[in-house]
Amino acid sequence: MGRFLLRRLIQSAVAILGTITLVFFIQRLAGDPTLLMLPEGATRQDIETLRHQLGFDRPLAIQYLDYLAQLARFDLGQSLVQRVPVLDIIVARLPYTLYLAGSALLVAVGIGLPVGIVMAVRRDTKLERVLMALVLVGQSMPTFWSGILLILLFAVTLGAMPSSGVDGLRSVVLPAIALGALTMATYARVARTAVLEELGRDYVSAAQAKGLLFRSVISRHILRNAATPIITISALEIANLLAGAVIVETVFAWPGLGQLAVQSIAARDFPIVQSIVLLSAFVSIALNLAADILYSVVDPRIRLDGVA
Amino acid sequence: MSEAVIPSIAHPARLRTRIARELRPIWPFLLIFVGFALIALLAPLVAPYNPNSQNLLARLKPPGTTVRNVLYLLGTDEVGRDLLSRLIYGARVSLMVALLSVLVSTTLGTVLGMIAGFYRGVAEIIIMRLVDIVLSIPAILLAIITIAVLGPGLHNVVVVLGFTRWPRYARVAYGQTLAVMGLTFMRASAFNGAGALRLLGRHVFPNIAGAIIVVATLEFGLMVLFEAGLSFLGLGVQPPMPSWGSILSVGRNYMGTAWWIATFPGLCLFLLVLSINVIGDRMRDRLDPRSTR
Amino acid sequence: MARWLMRFSIAALTATLFVGGALAAKDVLVVDLVQEPSSLDPHLQWNPDSYFVYRNVFDNMVTRDDEGKITPQVATSWRQIDDSTTEFTLRSDIKFHDGTPLTADDVVFSVKRIIDPALKSPQRDQFNKIVDATAVNPTTVQLKTEGPYPVLLAQLVKLSIVPKAHVTQVGNDKFNQEPMGSGPYKFVSIQRGVKTTLARNDTYWGTKGPFATAEFHAVPDPATRVADLRSGKADLIVTINADLAAELKKDARVKVLSVLSERVAYFHLNALAGPTADLRVRKAIAHAIDRQGIIDGLMAGYDKPATTMLSPVHVGYVEGFKGYAYDPAKAKALLKEAGITADTSFTLFTAPTFDQRIVQAIQQMLIDVGMKVTIVTSDFAGWLKRAQSSPAEFGEMSFSRWSCGCQDADGVLFPLYHSSSQWAKLRDGAIDKELEAGRSLLDPAARLTHYKRVHELAEAAVPLVPLYQVAILYGARKELRWTPTPNESFFINRMKWEE
Repeated sequence: MGRFLLRRLIQSAVAILGTITLVFFIQRLAGDPTLLMLPEGATRQDIETLRHQLGFDRPLAIQYLDYLAQLARFDLGQSLVQRVPVLDIIVARLPYTLYLAGSALLVAVGIGLPVGIVMAVRRDTKLERVLMALVLVGQSMPTFWSGILLILLFAVTLGAMPSSGVDGLRSVVLPAIALGALTMATYARVARTAVLEELGRDYVSAAQAKGLLFRSVISRHILRNAATPIITISALEIANLLAGAVIVETVFAWPGLGQLAVQSIAARDFPIVQSIVLLSAFVSIALNLAADILYSVVDPRIRLDGVA
Repeated sequence: MSEAVIPSIAHPARLRTRIARELRPIWPFLLIFVGFALIALLAPLVAPYNPNSQNLLARLKPPGTTVRNVLYLLGTDEVGRDLLSRLIYGARVSLMVALLSVLVSTTLGTVLGMIAGFYRGVAEIIIMRLVDIVLSIPAILLAIITIAVLGPGLHNVVVVLGFTRWPRYARVAYGQTLAVMGLTFMRASAFNGAGALRLLGRHVFPNIAGAIIVVATLEFGLMVLFEAGLSFLGLGVQPPMPSWGSILSVGRNYMGTAWWIATFPGLCLFLLVLSINVIGDRMRDRLDPRSTR
Repeated sequence: MARWLMRFSIAALTATLFVGGALAAKDVLVVDLVQEPSSLDPHLQWNPDSYFVYRNVFDNMVTRDDEGKITPQVATSWRQIDDSTTEFTLRSDIKFHDGTPLTADDVVFSVKRIIDPALKSPQRDQFNKIVDATAVNPTTVQLKTEGPYPVLLAQLVKLSIVPKAHVTQVGNDKFNQEPMGSGPYKFVSIQRGVKTTLARNDTYWGTKGPFATAEFHAVPDPATRVADLRSGKADLIVTINADLAAELKKDARVKVLSVLSERVAYFHLNALAGPTADLRVRKAIAHAIDRQGIIDGLMAGYDKPATTMLSPVHVGYVEGFKGYAYDPAKAKALLKEAGITADTSFTLFTAPTFDQRIVQAIQQMLIDVGMKVTIVTSDFAGWLKRAQSSPAEFGEMSFSRWSCGCQDADGVLFPLYHSSSQWAKLRDGAIDKELEAGRSLLDPAARLTHYKRVHELAEAAVPLVPLYQVAILYGARKELRWTPTPNESFFINRMKWEE
């Protein structure tokens, strides 16, 4: 376990370094933000002056080393456009994304798990087919379309919900549904498969033969055993939710990191984009690691020192 | 929709009902998919009008409007183009981008994954760490950053999607290659001095093809969504080429006045992805019965 | 003394009652902008989302009234001492929000700060013709320019005066996060990505703001801004197009405010490379575009056809230019003469920032006269890069809109037509000479004759096709009284609320 952790940590460090390197250079290929900042009609000399002041006329390798040195001091730098520390901006935006992703997870688990369990228990019934249709819809709905439909229906036509932005507790409902739909479908499928698998095991038949109530069997044994795959996919699903937030936040004008990322890429605000990528790399690697460890804890048959 | 494959020696009659039951729910979806594919292929024949020809006097007309003897079955868009014709040509863009980008990422990912699993050593380290790197950046963000360099456009979208999605295949190909390499017959042929290429082509690839096809089918639906998503953000194909995603994003500004612009392309997108998902599910059940997702 | 006191109290009481009444009706003004301000420091970023906010926190050297005339603000009067020196007399009763008075030192500090390369201000090039600033006494400042500089006053409209002592004390970074000025509104807070809040400066020396609080929300999606306005969540929204304006017109609770701005839309042609290097092709394109058709069909008639790159609100505007009439037959004939066939390919590059309805409409008009036109899109940063690239990389044509924010010919014609400018895709010695003369003379009448000549030469050479004077549309609650200005300024204290 210790060796495994050490190896994973080294691998993670390499991945994170690689990630920021990759993003650093791809971004620089797209040009710097000098032109975007200057008013129309700025002369070539003005452009070169500002570019020099911002340090973009230096060789890329120097800029890169500079950036690494800065990161080594735990300094994320300053937004090129806003001239405010990146950390301040991210700290201000992160809670919105967490709030949205958390609410979406709640929607996904709250609907997905019961639906999956019911589908397994009521296998081959009309009910299963209806629920399966729901799962398929959730899985196939493009978030930007479901988002628009939700706005059209609940905000524009019925006027029951705020159309976008953060405005009280209610405003998270529509984006959370749009974002959570896909994850909901995944949870439902996994829960269904896991419960089905458990239902096929000997102890269930034995319990049933003993005349135990089906309901108590479900709650006591099946769910506990079926929890393993459900918990382990959670790590992946949380990462998926955070990635999905990019589109959903744009559709609903939600002031989280996804919207900030899209705007900052367009504005060539390198320090912000790099920091967001860095953060998401950390999160995705940490979640993957957590999933692996969790997997080995709940299922000791899995050995952690397997393949790379 | 059952994943559980019961390895029993089935009674012929029971087998027949079983097959019938499995096929029943899938044929409408096959029909939808084939329908979209046909529409895409035959777009110039099926589309009532030129998808790009504008009529500024017939802007934002609701479905069923006739302006100067021209019937707009699904209404018109913000510059007076026939929405139906644009949707039909949009099917072309969607399917073409999805198909090409899946081809690119499958090829790239499979080859790299097989190399990593076969040669191990340095190749394995480099390729698999690269996989980690690309997978740890949210795909949509990486795609947006890359598009900012290449500029939007059909070819660039294919390149970007291929470039961001290959690691999924590489992981599968790598894992499967490792497994296959562990089999005794592989060790035997290695001892016989069979060439690496022959070994990979003859023995490794056929063994991993099933798993790769499963991933590719699921990715196909995802690529349709990705293309639409990028076009929705204004980073997909170039105007005036119609893409469902870009029609949707324009439609968003007309929700209060012209609901049809956002509704119909979304519906097309939904139906196409739904049919791909159902078909993909079934293929997965057949080819990879152990998978849980 | 007692009588004076009495009168003062009555006046104050009336004011309180009046303001109090208005307060009960409307306490908070909510404005939907597109994004949050890029900077709160008025000497840093210069874009509408930023200056709509910070202009209210600061006073500017001079300002423009609703008619566009340059009028006093911090400076009450000015006179030319010699060709390159102007002396300004300042108001003596201006106080910053912390109570310290605004003096000549603050003005000198502001000028020197914005032109100091160390500040890295993107606005620097609008002021770097100023070579020196000196305080003669607490209410007199002299500005020295690099030779005669006729655009000085027009640029000073955009110079916000910042408090020297405060900025030096807190530093540039802190000042950008918590700006403090002398304007009609004080900065209160910024909730990143959500909103910026200002509060009325009750001791303001000039016209006080009608609302106790003003909130600027970041709402990127235009349809959402419209929804916010109609649901009463916002009182004023920016940047809507004619289609959304039509939606607003159906709602009795709201109205559309429009102004013909100093922004002019144009179709840029590459006169130095490719098929557009042929004058006949450029003339054909000019004849192929139906300006009026675009304005009537897409813009509901808000915008106004333009035949030169200047609008009537610009210094240097000359009436009477006819431009090229819409004449597809003539366009086809000219193309044929130039040997253009359906195989000659033209690229039209653009960015999502520009109204794609217009770009696609123009593309269609060119296709209609037999040209093969492909649209190439990039994001705005990529567009700017290409628009300022060499003629070989530029491509054939591009759609764009231009505003120098200074309402002066020099800020428009020089960058677009002069050989030395990276924007110009034209080399014409005669035009260069006229432009250079126009920017070095102080006498308006003399300048006008040079600019008239520029318009004539440009019309003959067609390095670009002027399309229309852009109308800026705002949506507002019925009760809001406000006159938007051609330079897209945004002063809350010039608004009124009438129930």
